[in-house]
Amino acid sequence: MSTIAPALQPPPKPQPARVPTDWTTTSMQGRIRRRYRSERRFRLLGAGAVLLSFAFLVFLLISMLGQGLRGFTQTELRLPMDFPAARLALDPATLAGPNARAALAAVDLEGATARAADRAYGTGGYKLLSDGAWLSVRSAIQADPQILTRRADIWVPTSTVIDLAAKGDADAEAEAGYRLLDARKAVRTSFSMAFLTGSDSTDPTLVGIWGALKGSLLTMFVTLILAFPIGVLSALYLEEYAARNRWTDLIEVSINNLAAVPSIIFGLLGLAVFLNFLDFPRSAPIVGGLTLALMTMPVIVIAGRNAIKSVPPSIRDAALGIGASKVQVVFHHVLPLALPGILTGTIIGMARALGETAPLLMIGMRAFIASPPGGLADPATVLPVQIFLWSDEVSRGFVEKTSAAIIVLLVFLLAMNGIAIYLRNRFERRW
Amino acid sequence: MSPALFLLLVAGLAFIGWITGRARAARFTGTGANRPHSLPGYHGWYVALWALAPALLFLAVWGFVSPGLVDATVTATPQSAAIRLDPADLTAEVRALGTGALTTAFHPEVVPLVPVFQRVQTHYDVIGGVVALLLAFAGGAFAYTRVKPDFRARTRVEQLVMAALLGASLIAVLTTLGIVLSLLFESMRFFARVSPIEFLFGTLWSPQTGDSGTFGAVPLFWGTIFIGAIIAMIVAIPLGLMSAIYLTQYAAPATRRWMKPILEVLAGVPTVVYGYFAALTVAPAIRDFAAFVGIPGASSESALAAGLVMGVMIIPFVSSMADDSIAAVPQSMRDGSLAMGATTSETIRKVLVPAALPGVVGGVLLAVSRAIGETMIVVMAAGLAANLTANPFSSVTTVTTQIVQLLTGDQEFDSAKTLAAFALGLVLFIVTLLLNIVALRVVKKYREAYE
Repeated sequence: MSTIAPALQPPPKPQPARVPTDWTTTSMQGRIRRRYRSERRFRLLGAGAVLLSFAFLVFLLISMLGQGLRGFTQTELRLPMDFPAARLALDPATLAGPNARAALAAVDLEGATARAADRAYGTGGYKLLSDGAWLSVRSAIQADPQILTRRADIWVPTSTVIDLAAKGDADAEAEAGYRLLDARKAVRTSFSMAFLTGSDSTDPTLVGIWGALKGSLLTMFVTLILAFPIGVLSALYLEEYAARNRWTDLIEVSINNLAAVPSIIFGLLGLAVFLNFLDFPRSAPIVGGLTLALMTMPVIVIAGRNAIKSVPPSIRDAALGIGASKVQVVFHHVLPLALPGILTGTIIGMARALGETAPLLMIGMRAFIASPPGGLADPATVLPVQIFLWSDEVSRGFVEKTSAAIIVLLVFLLAMNGIAIYLRNRFERRW
Repeated sequence: MSPALFLLLVAGLAFIGWITGRARAARFTGTGANRPHSLPGYHGWYVALWALAPALLFLAVWGFVSPGLVDATVTATPQSAAIRLDPADLTAEVRALGTGALTTAFHPEVVPLVPVFQRVQTHYDVIGGVVALLLAFAGGAFAYTRVKPDFRARTRVEQLVMAALLGASLIAVLTTLGIVLSLLFESMRFFARVSPIEFLFGTLWSPQTGDSGTFGAVPLFWGTIFIGAIIAMIVAIPLGLMSAIYLTQYAAPATRRWMKPILEVLAGVPTVVYGYFAALTVAPAIRDFAAFVGIPGASSESALAAGLVMGVMIIPFVSSMADDSIAAVPQSMRDGSLAMGATTSETIRKVLVPAALPGVVGGVLLAVSRAIGETMIVVMAAGLAANLTANPFSSVTTVTTQIVQLLTGDQEFDSAKTLAAFALGLVLFIVTLLLNIVALRVVKKYREAYE
């Protein structure tokens, strides 16, 4: 019986002697090489991801700059105007008088300009001109009424086709035409202030961004004066005074959720409440500003709370210790110390609001508006919406104008972010 | 006498109140038990606030009441009784003409009423202004009589400051309430015309002007998920995660200092710029590529173009969330792995990323919620055709695109077409809210695990 038991048990395996791994064998060396290779691969993958993101950013910026810089220039055609021969019912004396405007308006300058172009560049010459070429003639007359007594060369904007040909972006026929004109020294391409001072138009050679930019500035003004005080006061309340209870939790949850709500939802809110319920004017900067203020406020509150939190309690204790009231502690000591951080957050929130498009589309700021808004209740558009509207245009001339407007918008955003970074580095204190 | 002038006068009265109250309190002398309770400035503020608050409150109420009074007075005049027009239309037109919002009249017979309107308007403006001035004066005078050495002006002023603080923080709650109520209210009106079942599960989306058309939103939901949660994430998750890993684990601190802000620039570029870029550069390139390879159904407004660009936009977001969660993994875990002889990449893949996974997943959920709410890129690059397709080269449409599409253009506000936008908004709001709540909960749980 006793012989069975050992038979049931497996024979004891001979324990191999523990030998240290021989790292010098080819198989081990191979493993190490493989592991190091995969390490390098992984590292390259990481660097590649960062570089790919950078490459995309650079590509985006270069493509905008490449198309957009041309948008700031305008090709002009030399138009020899023979004013005495054109027999306009105008004379320098009238223009010096009080009825200058009416006198100018009564004259068919548009026709005279077209006829001058036909004379100078053959029948159909008026097609070389922009629809607004006569405006340049008019301003030349306004600038110097004596011009009416002589022949004069006036530089007027060309049509989109010639403009694009000058910039090497049109079909062969147009470019050939442009070369002919160029040989006669009749065209020039130069930086044009008109793009920075004008407003929207149906003709790409006449458009400008001042109208949209002014709309943006008015909207941002409303946003700032509403969102900044409300945001700062909320942050102070939540961080310094609020008792830990259900109501405070409700406020906190609301603010955190609002910060994550898609911007278009704020547009729907603005449409339903401000336009349909309160009957505010459509397309007005005040409504846009209100809507964006509701969107920006949570950002300011969150940034403000972080800034307030970083003020050390010893400051509060010291102020309380020498007899300041709770309000005095906060407004005399905590707020001034937290202000740089709050301002940084505010600028970042404002930059986001400046680039925002979707909510403003909802409240009707996408109308065609050909003159800059005069006040907060006038119909206006804003820069990002203007970019959106131009990007929808069929005419090829709008491509470079859209990119040029994007450059202006990016310059503004860059400046704002630069200020924010400067403020952070200059004033932020580590306690 | 315009309302602005009265406002200025009220402010002037308040300023005078501030000066006189302060001056009166400054004359108080006393030491020890007789020491005045509050500094002179607080007495000044007390008087100024008493002058300002009642008057402004009245002006605000008057601003709502007076247009009705003006309209009632204008319609009560014998001239208007002769005009055969609905009183509401009549007053609206006269008001528009009188304030200069309208330059020519639709109905010439209302023109004589314009001067009447202007006279009545001025009349009520003056009444309101004078009452406001009286209130300001009375309030200021009342407060002035209370300026005494033992009067607790500071306490009163501080109570008001606290009320202002509380009021400011309640605006966030009001905004949330406003969003929920306006979306719910308009959606209810929509669901009274279109059944919720059809809206949520129908597969044909073709809104028409008026109440006709079908509103099956499934193609929209699919398009939103396809672009925002699938294509964009295929781009953003690997690139964002690998960028975060490289910047936190490999890059030298000096490199990291300038690389991270540059990466953040991607998040700061306005979405309309991305949209333009997607529509002008990326979409044609993708269409040409698809045509070159021979993929059928390639559209110039492809889901792929919008999704790719949106993915790039989301990279910094995913990257910073991943960065935070990797940084939260305790250093001891990393050290332990390295001490066992693992290479850096093995440590990252086998220890850091699995440990940080809940945080990364939370970050990805937040990124998805941002991507599906993104509007401009899809409006400009993703097209309007409500297709139910998984072909990334064909055109799909999204919830946000359709909201913009339904609400821009001039149609009456009561049609099912415009109300559908609010129903879509409600769905979007609920989904993003849920995603955010879940994501924040996941991130929080995970943070607690290591603290």
